Amino acid sequence: MTKYAYYPGCTLYTKARNLDLCARKAAEKVGFELTEMPSWNCCGAIYNATSDDLAAQVGPVRNLAKASQLGEKLVTLCAACYNVLKRVQDRLDQPGNEIESERLKTFVDEKFERSVKVLHYLEVLKNDIGWDRVKEKVTKPLAKLKVASYYGCLMVRPKEVLGFDDPENPQVMDDLMRVLGAEPTKFDFKAECCGGYLVVNRREVAKAASQKILDNARAWGAEAIVTTCPLCQYNLDKLRVLTDGSLPVFYFTQLLGVAVGLNLDELGLEHSAGDPAGFLRSKGLL
Amino acid sequence: MEQPAQPQKKQRPRVGVFVCHCGINIAGVVKIPELMERVGVMPGVAVTKDYKYCCSDPGQQMIRDSIKNDRLDRVVVACCSPTLHETTFRNASAEAGLNPYQCEIANIREQCSWVTEDKATDKATEIVRTTKAKVENDFPLEAITVPINKRALVVGAGIAGIQAALDIANAGHEVVLVDKEPSIGGHMAQLSETFPTLDCSQCILTPRTVEAGRHPKIKLMTYSEIESVSGYVGNFKVKVRQKARYVDFKTCTGCGVCLEKCAGRTDARFERGLVRGKAIYRLLPQAVPNRPVIDAKACVYLTKGKCGICAKVCPTGAIRYDDTDKFVEEEVGAIVLATGYELFDAAGLASYGVGLVPDVVDGLAFERLLSASGPTSGEVKRPSDGKVPKKIVFVQCAGSRDSTAGMPYCSKICCMYTAKQAILYKHRVHDGEATICYIDVRTPGKGFEEFYKRATDDGIQYLRGKVSKIFRQGDKVVVWTSDTLAGRKVELEADMVVLATAVVASPDGVALARKLKTQIDSHGFMTEAHPKLRPVETLTAGFFLAGCGQGPKDIPETVAQASAAAAKVLAMFGNTRLTHSPTTAEVEEDICVGCGYCERTCAYEAVKVDPATKKAVVNAALCEGCGACAVACPSGAMTHKNATKKAIFQMTDLF
Repeated sequence: MTKYAYYPGCTLYTKARNLDLCARKAAEKVGFELTEMPSWNCCGAIYNATSDDLAAQVGPVRNLAKASQLGEKLVTLCAACYNVLKRVQDRLDQPGNEIESERLKTFVDEKFERSVKVLHYLEVLKNDIGWDRVKEKVTKPLAKLKVASYYGCLMVRPKEVLGFDDPENPQVMDDLMRVLGAEPTKFDFKAECCGGYLVVNRREVAKAASQKILDNARAWGAEAIVTTCPLCQYNLDKLRVLTDGSLPVFYFTQLLGVAVGLNLDELGLEHSAGDPAGFLRSKGLL
Repeated sequence: MEQPAQPQKKQRPRVGVFVCHCGINIAGVVKIPELMERVGVMPGVAVTKDYKYCCSDPGQQMIRDSIKNDRLDRVVVACCSPTLHETTFRNASAEAGLNPYQCEIANIREQCSWVTEDKATDKATEIVRTTKAKVENDFPLEAITVPINKRALVVGAGIAGIQAALDIANAGHEVVLVDKEPSIGGHMAQLSETFPTLDCSQCILTPRTVEAGRHPKIKLMTYSEIESVSGYVGNFKVKVRQKARYVDFKTCTGCGVCLEKCAGRTDARFERGLVRGKAIYRLLPQAVPNRPVIDAKACVYLTKGKCGICAKVCPTGAIRYDDTDKFVEEEVGAIVLATGYELFDAAGLASYGVGLVPDVVDGLAFERLLSASGPTSGEVKRPSDGKVPKKIVFVQCAGSRDSTAGMPYCSKICCMYTAKQAILYKHRVHDGEATICYIDVRTPGKGFEEFYKRATDDGIQYLRGKVSKIFRQGDKVVVWTSDTLAGRKVELEADMVVLATAVVASPDGVALARKLKTQIDSHGFMTEAHPKLRPVETLTAGFFLAGCGQGPKDIPETVAQASAAAAKVLAMFGNTRLTHSPTTAEVEEDICVGCGYCERTCAYEAVKVDPATKKAVVNAALCEGCGACAVACPSGAMTHKNATKKAIFQMTDLF
């Protein structure tokens, strides 16, 4: 079983425990193992875009240095961690940026062994494992479940650096849902803003932005939303007023977990608003 | 030195070197006195003179006088690029009795003073020395002349091709006018009314299509494509593929009974997918030629072997289910490429809802909705439910001026046609609201600014900002944009959205350009020989350009360019023979072993190995003198006139 160094990040230990929990279990079912890297620290949370920002890069640089001692690949799950770590590694590798890169590396005690390939869990599934092998492991196909895949901004932008998927019309989660037996719906708001951190000080703005995403998904006939970013999940799931027609908002790892046969107590559904377990039961999936 | 020179003997040629200052273009960087001093002592140089502007009358006179007085038999002019004044100085040399091919240009401007900061004088010295070495080895040559076939081919029968064909034909020359569609008129036949005068496109186009269709000098070949072109300027051989029409054009009377009965359905390309079309079709009621063709992929009889209704109802028995593609050879002397444009497929702009939202259409589709001959007979109805839209948002620069979409250029026509479409919409739907989202409004044409003013006076709202997203909400279409003048985000709710998608070169035109090896730019538009001074010629002699295949342009500009291309063709046809540079490849037959390396190397198909003699033969009329074959030749049999190996060794100072 292939082993990967794994960077969970802070949110996956707190608000997004449900994203982490079934991700590790599902990985084993699918055929790879996540080994949490030791003594990781904050990823930086946001890629710093100010001009004099070297100090702000030290956190992610230390993580990358530590990861480089473990192997060439580092797997992440949180969209923000993925975005920051990959962009900082790209910055260190930029031709012509050697002086800054060396300065940054001298700020941390850990020695850089190599350039780290920062991967998202979805990239591991798609490229390293392959959709065919994932499909083989599906024991409970998500038959006829109409799912809208919501990517948000951090997974896909900036395209030049992340190169993860088309920033306007990403497909990878839709592909995964298809592999798991679900029906991905069309959706206009795949990569629109959920409101992000405005939930902290302009809650009403984030709420309006999230509501638009939910409304559009429902207009396209979705029965559930699947996402990968803890902040997106929080905004979509927690800011709304729950009604009978509310769409459950799942992490992709939860639906992956359902499809590969994890138990209810391994899915972490209790952390979400509403009754996602009841929804899955009504679909005959639990 | 008292005796007259005898250049025929093995005496070293007497070279005159003339250095031009080009004002300060050269003299400001290259130290002229120092250059003169160094050149003056080079072996073989009999005279050196300099002048402020050698291309001026006195400058040319200086060269002519010097050739006579100093008994020169070779001339080097150190000046600007040979593309500019080589002809000037060769003519001047010829007037003084020198063979023009023994006058050479040393380019010390574009290749030296303009691009060199230090050591420009050293570089200029070396350029002059090299050119002197070449000119000493130059033989006197005579220009090659070839006869001209005064018959033209025009590819593409949109308004550009039609205009060029009519101009050439009206001057008395035969024209073969080829179009891939079943009838002529191009995109102009799809338009409703034209800016800035709002005259009906059909009304001004059909007199031209009728004239082209009936002109005794024009041979119309519709539903046809260019298969190959061989030969050279003045003498091209063109193979045309006439696609299977399944209708005999001679027997068919164009009565249209078959059109009513046909059961096969397909997307109507001409109607931009707004309606389903029939398998047997003509593009429009005024089609020239007014004969239908059958789309074999949609025809029930041709795909399933059943139906055959068109053959049953045809009163003249014109249906031919066994029709096949036919190949026709045509011989012409000049070719006008008027291959036109397409609209960018906005499916490439994922955030603009194309394919997701049925009521988002492109500019040409909206023209069809406005057109009296369109699917709604000119009533504006939206595609999803046929309702009359009460609010339309027009989005300019959908793909244009967007380097991330791959089209950094301005499509030039959209500002005006969007204003026109909004005005026409308001004419049709009096209580309708029209909003135009724009980045800049560009109106640099006759009457254009006034037309734009008319649009704003008609109550059409202009919002300055780039549209970020278009999506469906219920039965409405929502447009997210910004008003950069007020500095705020804007959300517009509309019944329908019209995208002014970018003008792109027709993919068939791009494929043809590749086939003909004529230049295209990075966006597929055909490249003119010079952007300012040779705007309708190409670098391939005998090919001329007209219309949007060369770049986005409106109808008046297209027509003007088409007439310009026709004028260039006619100027060529005014000669009895064409001259061609004699600096071509030549074969020394005693050495040639017929290996064929040259034939495989030649980009112009000018070199062939004669199967009988097993020797390479150069067609001098086709040879562009690139020298590739001379380099490829392993035995040294192939040489390039006036760029022999000996000359090149001496130029590069290798021995």
